[in-house]
Amino acid sequence: MRVLFGLAAGLLLLLAAQPLMPAYRSSRDVLAPPGRGHLLGTNDIGQDVLTGLLHATPNTVLMALAAAAVATAAALIVAGVAAAASATIRNMILRLVDALQVVPSILILLFIGTLMQPGLTGLAVLLGLTSWHEDVRVALAMLRRELQRENVRFARHMGASRTYCLRRHVLPAIRPALAALYLQNIRQVTLRAAGLAFLGLTDPRLLTWGGMMQDAMEHLYTPAWLWLLLPPAFALTAFLLIMLLLIENDPAGARA
Amino acid sequence: MTAGAIPISGRAWAAALLWGLTARFAVLMLVVLVIFILPRLLPGDPLGVMLSSDYTQNLSEAGLAELRARMGLAGGWAEQFGAWLSDLLRGDLGYSATHARPVATLIAESLPWTLLLILGAMPVYLVLAALAGIGAGRAAGGGFDRGLTGFVTVLASIPPFVTAILLMLGLAILWPVFPAGGALPMLPSDQLMIRTGQIARHVILPVTALALHEFARFYYLARGEAVVLAHRPFVMNAVARGLPPRRLLTEYYGRNILPIFIARLSDSVSGLVSAVVIIEIVFSYPGIGGLIYGAILDRDYTLLQGTTIAVAAGLLALNWLIDAAGTALAGRG
Repeated sequence: MRVLFGLAAGLLLLLAAQPLMPAYRSSRDVLAPPGRGHLLGTNDIGQDVLTGLLHATPNTVLMALAAAAVATAAALIVAGVAAAASATIRNMILRLVDALQVVPSILILLFIGTLMQPGLTGLAVLLGLTSWHEDVRVALAMLRRELQRENVRFARHMGASRTYCLRRHVLPAIRPALAALYLQNIRQVTLRAAGLAFLGLTDPRLLTWGGMMQDAMEHLYTPAWLWLLLPPAFALTAFLLIMLLLIENDPAGARA
Repeated sequence: MTAGAIPISGRAWAAALLWGLTARFAVLMLVVLVIFILPRLLPGDPLGVMLSSDYTQNLSEAGLAELRARMGLAGGWAEQFGAWLSDLLRGDLGYSATHARPVATLIAESLPWTLLLILGAMPVYLVLAALAGIGAGRAAGGGFDRGLTGFVTVLASIPPFVTAILLMLGLAILWPVFPAGGALPMLPSDQLMIRTGQIARHVILPVTALALHEFARFYYLARGEAVVLAHRPFVMNAVARGLPPRRLLTEYYGRNILPIFIARLSDSVSGLVSAVVIIEIVFSYPGIGGLIYGAILDRDYTLLQGTTIAVAAGLLALNWLIDAAGTALAGRG
């Protein structure tokens, strides 16, 4: 979790430093191969690819962190409602959640993306609201396990309020598992956002790795794919890989 | 038949099925609502979008009104929704203006191509993942396991469209052994044998991309199970008896992994469809994904709506059937 806070802080810094970075502007060096002037070459309107990657990093990653936060929070809230509700209602919620999982979220995302081409905030909300249902079952299992433990029962018996128990007993206990869920959500959301950007269904002004790959698709038949396609593809894969390694090395276990 | 013999479990089974159906129907209604309401909340309407493109221009007021009525945009929201819903219930998904054909026909024409990709990839990744997973899992921590698991970890982090582009780049553009897109050449042969060969040549790259994407999921599953199985007494006993490795693989590991694979297969359908949509787009394959992408590019909302609802409904129905079959099988023991 600490890694993520560090990452978020670093990215915010990068975002704040964006005015200091060289601007991502077009120049006359069109489709220049990597070399001294442009370390990773330039694209078809003369924008420096390395600068583009740097500008796209906070957009891509912060959006994923925010969307995953929305998804995890929504899942936790629904799971909380289900845990507090009677068995019939809980069953109903779970059945609905199961049925929601059957519909591929990409269908809804493609539809909404076509209609409104969301920007940074829109994308975070949209992706968050289309991925929460995958975590409800896991979150509910965690919540119920913790709620039935004796420390919570004792506290309740001694007159502690529900909010107190939740804050002091339940949340600290499920925090590591929640962190693992959050990391998994980051991966999911990054994949979906990159797919949407790759199809040109995000705000065209929003520079992301997926969007850079879409621009590179026109150059598959020229040597320019080498420096237009590979850097954003590599950045995307590296980010997803780091997230996966974080999940796997988490001792608290993704096996919540 | 068996349900009659054990009335209680039979009734519970029916109740579970009914509940499942209700939940899936509710979700379908949610999808329908989202798809109906969202376009109407935004400034402008599908007609305006269509008119701003160059399909229809210089229409008179009367012509506009007629077009509006034909696209189901006349009257209030409730009226529109009622008309649209009753069309949907009759199986009428609307009429695509850009293709000049009913949406249902277009879907029926694209569906076989998507099924070809999915059914072509499924045996490949299931068998390979089972073999690789068992091989790695029964000697967990060994060189083969570490190498392969490392490779799969990287593979699992490559988005499906990146795999697809790299495959296309490598095997269709830089070293053109396979066609880069489509399902058939420009002028397909009318001889059955040659035509089948042409289809097979076009299907190889998209199927490989899809199989690579799904491989990781089932590899982890098979490996995890094989790690456990390798320490089970009946397997250790069989190894000590010197059972032929092939029998050990099929009868001991394979048989125990099969039910887990089948259970996971029905969960993985939604991810599979997401991947196939995006892979079809990269390879301009004429399946459902290609159809959706075409609708997006043309801003053909009728087609986009119809396809989205049809795919969602189809998947929900399929999932319900698998669920029912699974419950029935579990009930039998």
